[in-house]
Amino acid sequence: MKNKLMHLSNETMNVGFVKKVEALSGTSVRRCFQCGKCSAGCPMTAFMEHPPNRVVRLLQLGQGARVLAGRSIWYCASCETCTTRCPNKVNLAAIMDALRKLSWDADGPSKESYVQLANRLFIENIRTYGRQYELRLGAAFNMKSGQFLKDLMLGPKLLSRGKMKLFHQKNKNLPEIEAIFNRIEEMRKKGEAL
Amino acid sequence: MSRIGVFVCHCGENISRTVDVERVAKEAGDIPGVAFSCDYKYMCSDPGQNLLKKAVADNNLDGVLVAACSPRMHEKTFRKAASAAGLNPYLCEMGNIREHCSWVHEDREEATAKASDIVKLMVERVKKGKSLAPITVPVTKKALVIGGGIAGIQAALDIADAGHQVVMVEREPSIGGHMAQLSETFPTLDCSQCIMTPKMVDVANHPNITLYTFAEIEKVEGYIGNFQVTVRKKARSVDESKCTGCGVCMTKCPKKKIPNEFDQGHGMRTAIYVPFPQAVPNTPVIDRQNCTMFQSGKCGVCQKVCGPGAVDFEQQDTLIVEPVGAIVVATGFKLYSIERQPEDSPIQGYGEFGYGTIPDIIDGMTFERLASASGPTGGKILRPSDGKEPKQVVFIQCVGSRAREKGISYCSKVCCMYTAKHTMLYHHKVHDGQAYVFYMDARTPGKGYDEFWRRAVEEEEAVYIRGMVSRMYQRGDKIVVMGSDTLVGVQVEIEADLVVMATAVQAQDGADLLAQKLGISYDKYNFYSEAHAKLKPVECATAGIYLAGACQGPKDIPDTVSQASAAAAKVMTLFAKDQLERDPVVAKVNEKYCVGCLACKKVCPYGAVEEREIRDRQGNLVKVVASVNPGVCGGCGTCQATCPSKSVELDGYTDEQIMAMIEAL
Repeated sequence: MKNKLMHLSNETMNVGFVKKVEALSGTSVRRCFQCGKCSAGCPMTAFMEHPPNRVVRLLQLGQGARVLAGRSIWYCASCETCTTRCPNKVNLAAIMDALRKLSWDADGPSKESYVQLANRLFIENIRTYGRQYELRLGAAFNMKSGQFLKDLMLGPKLLSRGKMKLFHQKNKNLPEIEAIFNRIEEMRKKGEAL
Repeated sequence: MSRIGVFVCHCGENISRTVDVERVAKEAGDIPGVAFSCDYKYMCSDPGQNLLKKAVADNNLDGVLVAACSPRMHEKTFRKAASAAGLNPYLCEMGNIREHCSWVHEDREEATAKASDIVKLMVERVKKGKSLAPITVPVTKKALVIGGGIAGIQAALDIADAGHQVVMVEREPSIGGHMAQLSETFPTLDCSQCIMTPKMVDVANHPNITLYTFAEIEKVEGYIGNFQVTVRKKARSVDESKCTGCGVCMTKCPKKKIPNEFDQGHGMRTAIYVPFPQAVPNTPVIDRQNCTMFQSGKCGVCQKVCGPGAVDFEQQDTLIVEPVGAIVVATGFKLYSIERQPEDSPIQGYGEFGYGTIPDIIDGMTFERLASASGPTGGKILRPSDGKEPKQVVFIQCVGSRAREKGISYCSKVCCMYTAKHTMLYHHKVHDGQAYVFYMDARTPGKGYDEFWRRAVEEEEAVYIRGMVSRMYQRGDKIVVMGSDTLVGVQVEIEADLVVMATAVQAQDGADLLAQKLGISYDKYNFYSEAHAKLKPVECATAGIYLAGACQGPKDIPDTVSQASAAAAKVMTLFAKDQLERDPVVAKVNEKYCVGCLACKKVCPYGAVEEREIRDRQGNLVKVVASVNPGVCGGCGTCQATCPSKSVELDGYTDEQIMAMIEAL
C-alpha cells in the first residue's frame, strides 16, 4: 500500500473523510505546508511507517485509507510535541485522536497494533478498581493478544521490588469514578466527546 | 624636479597585515622627485583626506600618489581631495597595493618589496602626468523608450511628466505588451485591462510623447546625450492621420479565420485588424501575408468601405531619424515553447510532454486569455480541443525554467504566483472542478505574495503536489499526467481534462540583434546586462542607456514598474544638466605622423574613430587621417596599441608614461 501508484481524481480523493477528521479535531489539514517540524520532534517517528507530516500530507491528498491501513496513528504517544511546535497551528495530536476514533468506528481494533487493546484493558481496570491493577493488566493483555509468555520474566522482579502488587487495591470512591465514566459515555452519545 | 607626495594606506589591516607599510613609505621618500611620504591607517577617511590636502599645501606638491586599494574603489575620492587642495585631479594617481599585492601574497618580505616596486613605478607615471580638463558634451533632452509594454509606458510617462520629450517605439501595432493580455493580476486580483488601458491612453494623449507603433529600431549612432536613432516605421497600409477607428473595414474584411496572436492563436481575427478592442492607437493594420489584396491583387473591400479613405495599399516603410539624449530599453520577454527545436538549438523542447502536439496542453498565457473576459471564450474556461469545461485541471510549474538539460538554468520568478492565481481563477469559474499543481518549490517572496499562495491552497482548495511531471500523453479525451509526490514518496497519476504549463520567461526574439545595434551587453540567455547587479541595476555599461522590465531578466509587474520609474529617474538626472562632464581619458591622434591606415578604426570597440580629410588652402586633398570623437571614446587604449606609426595616444596612459614605468623597475 505504501508505495502503490496513487491515482488522483474527484473519485479517489475521499474529501468527506478528511472533512470528518477536520471537524473532529477542530483543525485544518490544508494549513500544513509540510515543513516537517512535527516529524522532527516526534519521539515515535522511528517506529512509524508514515511520519506525522506524511499523515497530514496523505490527508491533504484525500488518502485517509492509506493512513488507517498503517500503524502510525497507534504508535502516536499523544505527547503533543507536534502540536506545541507546529508553526502553522495545526493540532496534529487532535488529528491523531480523530483518526484513531474513526479507525475504531470503522474497523474496530487495529490489526496492526495492540495499542488499542492495551488502552482498553487499562481503562477497564480503572473502572473496576478505581486505580491500576498491573498484574491483571499484564495477564489479560498477554491472554487476549495471544502472546502468553510476553515479558513474563519481568513479573518476579516487579513483584519483589513492590512495583507490582499480587492482589488488587480498590479506590474508596468507586461510585464517583463510575460517575465520570457515565458522564463521558453520555457525552459520546451526544457527540461531544471522541 | 617634481615635488611628489606619496601616501601609503594600511587599509585597517588589509594591507599592513602583509606589507610593511612604514618601510614602503620610508623607501618612497628616497625616490628622486618625492618631496613627501607618509603612511596612514585609513587614507580614504576624512582625517586621511585632510592629511593629503594639508601635505599638498604645506609641501607645495605638484603630484600625488596614493598607494592603497584599486583605483576602481577610491580614485574618485582622492582625485576630489587633490582637486580641493588646488591640484589638477589627473595628477593624482593610485598604486594598487591591496588587490594586486597584500590580498594575493603571504610572504611579508616579498609583499613589501613588491609594494615598494609598485610605488616606484607609479611615481614615475605621476612625474610624466599631464593636467587634463574634463570633456563637456551637450545633452539632447529627449528620451527614446524602446518597447510599449508596462515598463516602457511607465518610464515614458514619468519622463514626459517631468517635462521632457519622449519618443516611444513599439514593434506591435498596439502598445500594451503582455500585461494587456492578462486577465487578473496577483496578488490583489485586480483586472489587468482596467489598470493598464488608462495608462495606454495617457501615453497616446500626452503632449510630450511621440508614439511610433508597428515600428522598429533600425540604427543607433552617437553617444550619451547625443544619440541619433533611426526608426523604421513599417507600412501599416492604413493612413493614421485619416483613420477614425470606426472599424467598418474589419467587419467587412472577407478573411476572418486568421488566428489572433493576441489570444495566443485561439481567437480569430481579420486580415485588416487591431489586435484587441482597447488597442492604442485604435488604427488597424493590414497583415500583408494574409491579405487577399496583397496576395492575389483582388479584393480591396476595406478600401471601398473606408469613409475617410485611409486604406493605402501603396504605403511604404518610412525611416525617421530622431536625435535623443538617453535611451530606455524595455523590450520585455517571450514565453518558452515546448515544441521540438532544431538539434543545434541551445534550448530544447519537451518530447515527454508531446512537443506541443496535444491541444489541451496549453501555456500560462493561453490560460490568461481563456480566463479573460475579453478573450476568445468570453471568460469561460473551455478547453481548446472540444470546447468542454474541464473538471480536472493540472498545472505544472517550472516547465523550461530550472531545467538545465533543456538549456535554461534560471528561475522565471513569476510562475509560482501566476499559477496560484490561475488555480483561484479556475476555482472561481468552475466550482465543481479540481485544480492540481505540480511544483518543485513554491517561491513567493514579495509583499502579500506568500499569503496569496497559501490562500490558493487553504481556501481555494488547490491540491499542490511537490514533485515534477515525468510524462504526459493522450488517452481518449483525457491527458494522463504521470508525476510524483515527493512528500509522500509515491508516484501520482492524474487523468486531466486540461493541462496548463507555467513555461519559462525568455528574452524577446531578436533581443541580441537590438543589443548589437545599441552597443549594450547581454548574457547567454540574451537578457540585457546591467552595469552592476546591486548598485547599478538600471544602468547599462554603455553610458546613457537604461533598462526597464523583463528584458533584463524575468520580473513581475510591481518590480517592472519600479525599475521603469528608476530608469526614468536616471534619465531625468541626466537631463538635469545642459552639459555633461566626461572623464578626459580619451585617445588623441597626432595628425602629423598619422598615415591614415585607419587600423585604429577597425579595432575601436566604441566606433569613436572617424576619417578626416586634410586639405590645403586650394582645397586639394593632402592626406586622410584618423580622428577620435572624444564624446564616444571609451578610453580603452586599443587604438594606441594597434597604431603602427605610434601616432595615437591615450591621455593619462601615454607611451612616455608607460615606458617610464617599465624603466623604473
